[in-house]
Amino acid sequence: MASKVGKVISLSRRSFLKFVGGASLVGVTLNLSGCGEPITPDKAIGGNGWMPTQYNAPGNWPTSVRGRVPIDPENPAIVRDDQKCILCGQCIEVCEKIQSVFGNYELPIKKEFVCVNCGQCIQWCPSGAISERDDVNKVFKALADPNVTVVVQTAPATRIGLGEEFGMPVGTNVQGKQVAALRKLGFDVVFDTNFTADLTIMEEGTELVKRVTGELHHPIPQMTSCCPGWVKFVEYFYPELIPNLSSAKSPQQMEGALIKTYFAEKKEVDPKKIFSVSIMPCTAKKFECQRPEMNSASKELNDSNVSPDVDVVLTTRELARMIKRTGIDFSSLPEEEYDKLMGTGTGAGVIFGTTGGVMEAAVRSAYYLITGQQPPVALWNLTPVRGMQGVKEAAVNIPGVGDIKVAVISGLANARKVMDQMKAGNAPWAFMEIMACPGGCEYGGGQPRASSPPSDEDRNRRAASLYNIDAKAKLRNSHDNPEIKQIYADFLTAPMSEKAEELLHTHYVSRADDFIPKKSEENKLY
Amino acid sequence: MAKGVLVDIPKCIGCESCSVACKLWNELEWDEQEKNKTAIDRAKEPNNGLWPEEWTSINRYDPEKDGESVARYVKAQCMHCEDPACVSSCFSKAFQKLPEGPVIYDQSLCVGCRYCMMACPFDVLRYEWKKAIPGVRKCQMCATRVANNQETACTSVCPTGAIIFGDRDQLLAEAKKRIKENGYVDRVFGEKEAGGTSWLYISDTPFEQMRFRTDVTTKPLPSYTEGYMKATPFVGVGWAAILAGLYVFNNKGKEPLD
Amino acid sequence: MELVTTVVSRAGAKMSSVRWKFRMTPMRWVFTGIASAAIAVILVRFVLGLGATTNLNDQWPWGLWISFDVLLGVALAGGGYGTALIVYVLRRDKFYPIARSAMLTSLLGYIVVVLGLLIEVGQWFNFWRPYVSWGHASVLFEVFWCISCYTVIQILEFCEVGTEKVFKGAHKYLKKAMPVMLIIGITLPTLHQSSLGQLFYLMVGKVNPLWWTAFLPVFFLLSSFFVGAGMIVIESTLAGKALNHKVEIPVLRGLVKISAGAMILYLMLKITDMVVRGTFANAFAFDLPSIMFLSELTFGVIIPIIIAFSSLSSTRKGLIWFGILTVSGVIMNRFDVLFTGMGKYLNQYGGSYVPAVSEFIVSLGLVSIACLAYLFLAENFNILGNHGSEHADDIEIKDGKYASTAK
Ligand code: SF4
Ligand code: SF4
Ligand code: SF4
Ligand code: SF4
Repeated sequence: MASKVGKVISLSRRSFLKFVGGASLVGVTLNLSGCGEPITPDKAIGGNGWMPTQYNAPGNWPTSVRGRVPIDPENPAIVRDDQKCILCGQCIEVCEKIQSVFGNYELPIKKEFVCVNCGQCIQWCPSGAISERDDVNKVFKALADPNVTVVVQTAPATRIGLGEEFGMPVGTNVQGKQVAALRKLGFDVVFDTNFTADLTIMEEGTELVKRVTGELHHPIPQMTSCCPGWVKFVEYFYPELIPNLSSAKSPQQMEGALIKTYFAEKKEVDPKKIFSVSIMPCTAKKFECQRPEMNSASKELNDSNVSPDVDVVLTTRELARMIKRTGIDFSSLPEEEYDKLMGTGTGAGVIFGTTGGVMEAAVRSAYYLITGQQPPVALWNLTPVRGMQGVKEAAVNIPGVGDIKVAVISGLANARKVMDQMKAGNAPWAFMEIMACPGGCEYGGGQPRASSPPSDEDRNRRAASLYNIDAKAKLRNSHDNPEIKQIYADFLTAPMSEKAEELLHTHYVSRADDFIPKKSEENKLY
Repeated sequence: MAKGVLVDIPKCIGCESCSVACKLWNELEWDEQEKNKTAIDRAKEPNNGLWPEEWTSINRYDPEKDGESVARYVKAQCMHCEDPACVSSCFSKAFQKLPEGPVIYDQSLCVGCRYCMMACPFDVLRYEWKKAIPGVRKCQMCATRVANNQETACTSVCPTGAIIFGDRDQLLAEAKKRIKENGYVDRVFGEKEAGGTSWLYISDTPFEQMRFRTDVTTKPLPSYTEGYMKATPFVGVGWAAILAGLYVFNNKGKEPLD
Repeated sequence: MELVTTVVSRAGAKMSSVRWKFRMTPMRWVFTGIASAAIAVILVRFVLGLGATTNLNDQWPWGLWISFDVLLGVALAGGGYGTALIVYVLRRDKFYPIARSAMLTSLLGYIVVVLGLLIEVGQWFNFWRPYVSWGHASVLFEVFWCISCYTVIQILEFCEVGTEKVFKGAHKYLKKAMPVMLIIGITLPTLHQSSLGQLFYLMVGKVNPLWWTAFLPVFFLLSSFFVGAGMIVIESTLAGKALNHKVEIPVLRGLVKISAGAMILYLMLKITDMVVRGTFANAFAFDLPSIMFLSELTFGVIIPIIIAFSSLSSTRKGLIWFGILTVSGVIMNRFDVLFTGMGKYLNQYGGSYVPAVSEFIVSLGLVSIACLAYLFLAENFNILGNHGSEHADDIEIKDGKYASTAK
């Protein structure tokens, strides 16, 4: 108990130092023995994944393709599942090089992503990361509603695409089965967009004649306006050429407007209770149907409760998905006919589905509109505008007028070149058909993915199928379509009549303010 | 040579290739909820788009430019400070600044105190709250790639050159050049912030409007505690000596207490 | 009382003579209840992780547990080193009666802190890493070393008491080592108490300037010192009720005065600091931080000073008020530094944190465990029964509450 204080203290000092020294020694030894070694990069979390080889190069080595296109989450037509993206860069490749959209504006972007909704990136994406915005459920919901009359139209090109989704060879014509499938799905009325394709020819042809004769003070060449991707492209990059665009709506929008007016009136259906669906080979159509101009029925009927002319656009792939989901055995379906009134189309209408088709159809009817005579058989096979070249030219001799020069373009990069040429004052044509997608609608962004990237071989097969339908058609001229005659007699009076203008024609808006224009062609890549 | 990344905000088109690259390279898991968020959503959420499995995020802001509201996409990730607070705050040395630039983290050393998260001046550290054995998560600046003389995954895929990888010094010079040429805001965010960072940002719109911590100190964060930590052993020994002295003095001739 | 039980354990033939007793009172049952609930939550935390049991998030990586268990626990337990300093080093022998109990509280406090830390950290099994992987630039590194060493020292210190009863053979060695342990045992906590404050100095620009100052370590150190007296007053009162034992008023009063002296120093430093950094405007802005700041100072420091140096401190009531105010003042201060101080910054983009019920349960549970342990140890070892304590009258315990406070 009575230990000497001094003794205790000496013990204290010594053991204190011992303690401190010991602790440090332990620490130092452990440090040296490896536990406290600096971390090396391989110890860091992550870094064990994979990247496409093009990116695994020393920094600032040039790579052929980098990254991917931007897709706005609000894009009405196209969505991307990031989880599936492998950054292969195919989308940016097609967007920039084939469609000349990406990279053709200056940075910074202003508000929106420049996108024409053509959906070619969907066709090029090898992993299926990009796809159409799925609107299938909206349609299923409408079909389930007994109070709603669901009217559907099918574009010219879906009939030669849909079969591929069910294992049929590329280009198989499944027109009849498609109608049967739609009926089975519960669509009340099945119409054919070929009908309005014919109508488009009447309207657009008349407009062309009026432009040529000077009755209409709009510039020549007249450019087709049935491709919404192309239209948006002009609105973005060539607003000064908007007057060259035909004011005629696309067949889809014509059909939509007529479904809620002409059909509603004829069949005494409440237009407010019509749900109008269109099956399209195209994603840009999803954008088109949402354009504010595209609710002519509502305007015409002066009733704001009438929904837009086309309520929902489904791509061919989405229709296939519906059929599969419902469990319909597509290949064993019988061949059925479209409903009458707006379900008859001609061979001219069906070839709208491929590049050059609109031109061919237009030439046939223009001949008739100008001369009052049926076109010669030679015009039923206008080979110069057929095929997969990006830019095709032809001269058609129409008695009394002489040679009319026309041009057919598909793929927007091709269109850009021609537009630049036009801006430079070098446009010898009277009429130009332009489709955003290479090859036209038959390989649109909404068609079944036959190969990736899309090949001309498949394009040709699909085109051949369309030409085959045309060749076999009883009626091959738009102006011969009996339902066209009927609608003009009963409803529209004449092409470009006041009512036709109201329902079948539209206007365009410049989108040049959405981005900063390219300063020069040279420094194209950022 | 210390590497860095220059982010030229006006050049970003919001394609999010970079965040996908980050996912691919670091094998980060996909989360349904995060996947469905847009750049606008992420810019507004408290986490700034950064989550344990989202080491980088493209966030959209609508700052003003010439009186007009414009869209700007800003890439967020760890800034890779030159003298990082996370490194200095970690008491088990789970963080480290590599000479090449990356600030890396080794989970096997981590105790999980989360002091680093409190200390990080840019609030980029995220914790795996949902895991029973959680770790801290953040961009590692692709340390193994950088060590192999490759560029970071995100910069390698950027289609517009909005993010470029290189020597920090050169990037800084480039940044200043671009500021002059393009009439950007006269500030390289990251040049001096928190004592300088490996990632540098330049922009044509005010940084304040894009969720940058513009009022952050320009002193390296560790310098705030450096002196204290250096003094501690001496203070400790000195204090113990004083106590010992007092003890001896006060106990002299007294019966020790038990 | 019916509930009073005596637990008798025979731990081996040799010690069969040692009787352990533990009376279960209603209050103790309540403690046991909370403690078991907490243990249940803790199990869930280990199986499912922090996300499942706390409301912590990436904006608020630190929450109730860290502030309560560590900042607060350590501060409140800090009374131990203060007493050790006063009694053993400065030899103010009149405070000897409270020395052992204060140091026991401190020990228990630290054990709770260590337990709390193990629950709170993500990779608890890695707790030993900093011993070998030295993050020596980190203030937390110092805190970690100090807390862990100090806890060991405290256990040894307590063993010196413990060996009076069991393993008597070790007693004389421990007794010899006592001075060394005492000196280390004062050095370490003073270092880390201040470091706890310094922890927040790294969060530059995040903490409200009312609290963020270069003086943070000094403030933390001083407040941990003066809260010790408050704690001892409260603890001796509570323990007095529970264990029939009271500490003399003059002893407590003397302690309270020492503590109040430290408070005056603290207050003066605070004011100086405010003058130097020009934060007076902030302090009197009367927004939330300002109100918290002012009430923390008024109720936690100024009023206790007045109590201590007036005749109020000669009554038990006054002393208890001193204790309650001081302790709540420091609790408030620690919560203020984290929650009020950082709230504006951490919530600026919509972050939020409200502790989950389970977080409260765990914190209360840890305190309950500490209380139970204290009561057990106090009943079985010579903690309170040293010289110079008066025996209180039997006090009835009703519904887990103490019937009256002062005689
Ligand atoms: S094509 Fe598809 S996979 Fe490739 S980068 Fe684009 S989105 Fe990703
Ligand atoms: S930004 Fe934060 S996490 Fe990244 S290095 Fe700096 S302190 Fe560390
Ligand atoms: S540097 Fe690497 S880890 Fe960091 S954001 Fe880029 S890809 Fe991700
Ligand atoms: S890859 Fe480049 S352009 Fe695309 S989001 Fe990232 S930084 Fe922006």
